[in-house]
Amino acid sequence: MTENPSNPIRPPHRSSNEDPISSGLPAAPANDELLLNRVQGGDQKAMAEIFDRYGSTVYSVALRVLGDSGQAEDVMQEIFFQLWKSPYAFARERGSLGAWLAVITRHRAIDSLRRRKPTSSTDDVVLFSSTNLASEVERNTMMEKVRDVMNDLPSEQRKSVELAFFEGLSHSEIAAQTGDPLGTVKTRIRLALISLRKAIRA
Amino acid sequence: MTDRIHISPEDLALYAMRYLSAEESATVNQHLEECAICRTEVAELSGDMALLALSVEQHPLPEGARKRFIDRIAVDAVSTLPSTAAKPPVPLTAVSPSTARRSAAWLPWAAVAALIIVSAWLGAKINVLNQKLQEESNRAAELTMANAHAQEVLDVLTAPSAQRVVLTPAKTPPVPTGRAVYLAERGALIFQANNLARLDPDKTYELWIIPANGKSPIPAGLFRPDASGGASIVLPPLPKGIPAKAFGVTVEKAEGATAPTLPIILSGAAAPSGE
Repeated sequence: MTENPSNPIRPPHRSSNEDPISSGLPAAPANDELLLNRVQGGDQKAMAEIFDRYGSTVYSVALRVLGDSGQAEDVMQEIFFQLWKSPYAFARERGSLGAWLAVITRHRAIDSLRRRKPTSSTDDVVLFSSTNLASEVERNTMMEKVRDVMNDLPSEQRKSVELAFFEGLSHSEIAAQTGDPLGTVKTRIRLALISLRKAIRA
Repeated sequence: MTDRIHISPEDLALYAMRYLSAEESATVNQHLEECAICRTEVAELSGDMALLALSVEQHPLPEGARKRFIDRIAVDAVSTLPSTAAKPPVPLTAVSPSTARRSAAWLPWAAVAALIIVSAWLGAKINVLNQKLQEESNRAAELTMANAHAQEVLDVLTAPSAQRVVLTPAKTPPVPTGRAVYLAERGALIFQANNLARLDPDKTYELWIIPANGKSPIPAGLFRPDASGGASIVLPPLPKGIPAKAFGVTVEKAEGATAPTLPIILSGAAAPSGE
């Protein structure tokens, strides 16, 4: 078990009418869930399908953070192998599998970048996502849309959130690098994330 | 960082990105335990981060990456039975695939090259090498036999089709039982349970080690029973060198818990090792 006792985040207790994930958002990755069930039964073809579906995304996120193809592949291989060994580490209420993998990849890549032990197990990332990443067409469409939104962000916001998310710089390190007040950096990071959310949901 | 009611949204964003200090994270964790609103906001921010991750330029996988992965799970599948409880989670400190990749790539070639060179330049020693090779082969054969025996034991212990029978005094109705075999010095544990009641899909059984040193129970794996009520946990990742005072099984939410939730369904005191 890879539970991290230091982080108690759990899926919120939800009734069926307040849970945007289980209430049937279009993001519900039925295929992913079926594949994961087969993986739980030791089905290697199902695991290969998941790898084919999300491998490029996971690798690309790791490569963006690490800038080294070998290290990026290491992170990718480890994440998918862990999913193979513990497919139920991803539970439906954690969001969509693709979105979850993307965030887990970023965290692991940052850990690798900073050469520190993993700061979290896969178990403690819960996310709300209304994006259907199981479909390649929709995945590509979403990527284009996100890039457009990122390009439209004020440059300071974009720079701050990219330094924090992809470069592994803390808010303090960004403030020291840019000379901006700490509070300003924190606000920019959050505003950039909120802008993404609003633009995608619009 | 906090106001009277909630964590500031800016700090929640930093928390989601793992940039708060250990102390600050502990404060947030404590708050999140009790605050559904902030939990939801963290989940929303994590969803936003997933979008951010999608903004990266897509790159094709390195050549051979897919095959390396497929080969890896194929090897793993051979050594692990595909049962729910028989798949222990993988510690994140597992051997790096690049290490295996590099080893797999150069070892055979190096061995072949070494043999060719030695054979060509030191022809007189061919007989000696052959003798050594034979010894290595014999040793490998012995190891293979030992592995096969160990695998057979594991297969029998964990096979879904295995008949598991607990003998009890006659006319005693079947009751849930669990058997744990634990080698503290290696952190190695094999656990088998029988006659377990079925659980709702959002629940799971969780095994706990109660350390002899009086520290908090250590989670030792999640498991769900098969159709016959049987389940097993084989070699979950555990710290080494922690003798157990007892073992317990509880019912937890599907993702498991960090501390056991009462009631304890199954429990058993551990005799000191060697007894």
